[in-house]
Amino acid sequence: MKLWIKCSVICALLVFIVSGCARQDEKNKRNTAGSGLRIVTTLFPLYDFSRAIIGDKGTVVMLVPPGMEPHSFEPRPDDVARISKSSLFIYTNRYMEPWADRIVKGIASPQLIVVNAGEGLTYLESTGNAHEKHDHAEDHKHQHSAVYDPHVWLDFGNAVKMVANITKAITAADPGNRQYYENNAATLKKRLEDMDKRYSKGLADCSSRLIMHGGHYTFGYMAHRYKLDYRSLSGVSSESEPSAAKMAKMVRQIKTSGVRYLFAEEMLSPRISETIATETGASVLKLHGAHNIAADEFNKGTTFFDLMDGNLKVLQKGLGCREK
Amino acid sequence: MQEVQLMEIFAYGFVQRAMLAGSLISVLCSVLGVFLVLRRMSLIGDGLAHVTFGSAAMALAMKLYSASSLLISIPVVLLSSLGILKLTEKGRLSGDTAIGIVSAAGIAAGIILASIGGGYNVDLLSYLFGNILSITFEEVCIAVVLFVVVMVMLLLFYNDLVAVTLSEELAKVSGVPTRLISSVLVCLTALSVVLAMKLVGIMLITALLVIPAASALQIARSFKTCVLLAGMQGGVSVLAGIVISFQFNLPTSASVVVLNLALFMVACLVRRLRVTESNS
Amino acid sequence: MPREVVRTENLSCSYTGSMVLDRINVVVNAGDYVGVVGPNGSGKSTFIKALLGLCSLSGGGITLFGTPQASFKEWGRIGYLPQSLAMQNALFPATVAETVALGLLSGKRFPRKILSQDRDKVEQTLALLGVDALRNKLIGELSGGQQQRVFLARALVNDPELLILDEPTAALDPETRERFYGLIGDLNRTRGTTLLLVTHDTGVIGGYASKMLYLDKSVLFYGSFDQFCHSSEMSALFGSQSQHIICHRH
Repeated sequence: MKLWIKCSVICALLVFIVSGCARQDEKNKRNTAGSGLRIVTTLFPLYDFSRAIIGDKGTVVMLVPPGMEPHSFEPRPDDVARISKSSLFIYTNRYMEPWADRIVKGIASPQLIVVNAGEGLTYLESTGNAHEKHDHAEDHKHQHSAVYDPHVWLDFGNAVKMVANITKAITAADPGNRQYYENNAATLKKRLEDMDKRYSKGLADCSSRLIMHGGHYTFGYMAHRYKLDYRSLSGVSSESEPSAAKMAKMVRQIKTSGVRYLFAEEMLSPRISETIATETGASVLKLHGAHNIAADEFNKGTTFFDLMDGNLKVLQKGLGCREK
Repeated sequence: MQEVQLMEIFAYGFVQRAMLAGSLISVLCSVLGVFLVLRRMSLIGDGLAHVTFGSAAMALAMKLYSASSLLISIPVVLLSSLGILKLTEKGRLSGDTAIGIVSAAGIAAGIILASIGGGYNVDLLSYLFGNILSITFEEVCIAVVLFVVVMVMLLLFYNDLVAVTLSEELAKVSGVPTRLISSVLVCLTALSVVLAMKLVGIMLITALLVIPAASALQIARSFKTCVLLAGMQGGVSVLAGIVISFQFNLPTSASVVVLNLALFMVACLVRRLRVTESNS
Repeated sequence: MPREVVRTENLSCSYTGSMVLDRINVVVNAGDYVGVVGPNGSGKSTFIKALLGLCSLSGGGITLFGTPQASFKEWGRIGYLPQSLAMQNALFPATVAETVALGLLSGKRFPRKILSQDRDKVEQTLALLGVDALRNKLIGELSGGQQQRVFLARALVNDPELLILDEPTAALDPETRERFYGLIGDLNRTRGTTLLLVTHDTGVIGGYASKMLYLDKSVLFYGSFDQFCHSSEMSALFGSQSQHIICHRH
């Protein structure tokens, strides 16, 4: 008897939660009003760029729900259905969404335009693991197939090219509104270039150029562009467990370099960074990787630029940069 | 590849906490594991870990994070462990079948709730992949309290547990409250899984509940020594595993598990040698 | 006035709809040696289990030592040797001494600890059953007969007044069986232990038991062995040839 009661209670609870949260799901499809092109993007930066470009001439939907960790994202049946019913499917690159090819092959929709937003970009190898960029030629111990860093959007020069790729595709799908899209794209490009200048200036004069990150190798491109020394505890894959030895090494590096701030990534567990911080007396600052964005931020309408401006302030604090 | 000197590692706070909390948790899991393995409930740790995942997803869907998610997790997992017991009694199923059912229910509920509640986010994943190297001071306290609670209960109920594990029928006729004892065992297991999973992750918990017990069963010459050996293997494997993971730059949890496997093989070998010795 | 050890009144028990026991009325007095016999599936084991609270009743009542079964708590007065204690796990890591010591739990209140004075009792019982040399061996390593003796020791370690045995000799060879019957017969004679022994061996048990309980879902016969031999009903049931054989085995 007790078993039945328990089962019914649990079932009722599940039904309640399901129906309650299903309503939430609808809100996530932030439609820009009206009909027109239907675009599905995977990650947040693509979503933000696309909606800026398409303006009120279409709708953009983000595949990975806000708040979700995108590295472990697996598309559900209705995701695939949504893609097949849209005009454009935009993904970042092969390394970020390895499942994209699989899905696309399974969709028999001839008018779907698939956009690799990261096409034509120069991909850097992930050199993570808290050691300096290594040279394959001299370091034969590390004979491994190169692992490429997928986080290209964090270099704003790349972002500009991605905007160009997206615009081209949108224009191809709807040539009638070409001028409109290209105007929006130009505005977007200018904003990116302005932000790039702000970063260059803001990070020019800093007491430290060392970014210690107790997490995965996310900010390589950003560090590369502004000539910062980026060390992360783990590689690109978000599932790898950091090794004890590497943790100890980072602790020593922090102690010897005297940096007072250590970085963690927003939306991921800061536990490891906090452990290292406790060990070294440093404080933890959070940088946003912008793969995805928290649900409440999404609903507020936070943009890629908001996130990156936030990052600039955090970097300036963490590296002790002097504003001229 | 000795980038870190052996003695140095003990100076790190996170290593000390890992060793302390880790060894306490592994000892209590190993000891509980002896009773679970003998009752053919070896996979209960795995099953309850899946339920914990489901309950964490439920808590997340109800917007309860971190410590407050335990308000959901602990009751749900405790009830599930009792549910497993009920299934074995009333449903006439064997332990492993009951566990399989509850485990599948747990993970399915978790996946559904997670995809509805906005996906696998930070808190949920950290539940599955709790890391022994990032244990905080508060969590060490939790480990100590859990250790004390489990050990005290096991000491109080030791003979009852042995009797019930040997033969439930005989135990009942000896006046042992068998239902209560079995419930105590699975509830202690449930509590340990929920709390310890957050500290050391699912892989380590499920391994520690099974392998030290299995090793001890190969070579123990009495029930008492069996429990002691299992506990010792649990503790030693964590301490040595942490050191080894440093020396060879390997992931810590996996090193502990591999060490347990090695000790299991040694136990099998000892048993084999004893048998041939007695035959000759 | 003989002291009542077991009394059942209209005891009925059913498994999945079919009536396994039908209104059993039995009284066992102190010092009785009752052989419980009957064909396969007659409910003998169920009867035993019902007495011990291991099977739920669908009707009737059981009194143990004057107390209703449901509220009976003095388990130290009863020793039980179940049928085919096939070691579900040959690897079970308990020694003979540990196993026998578990029998002491029936006389204890929570928390049930085995104390040092208890060890003497365990030793004595081990010696009584001739298994003291095996005290440190794991029970999984013993032969069938040895295991039987160990579990008998466990049942006896608390000096129970009532000993219930369910098909104890099923897996034993004739010689061991003889010794077994001799042993428990001694207990009955010298200590006055009441015995309730379920067996297939209608013929053999006749030679030892003072009473026979013939069950086949209901009580077909309950009385002394002599009465059994002179009962015309039993002749009708067994056929006088078999009855003759059973009764004149010795």
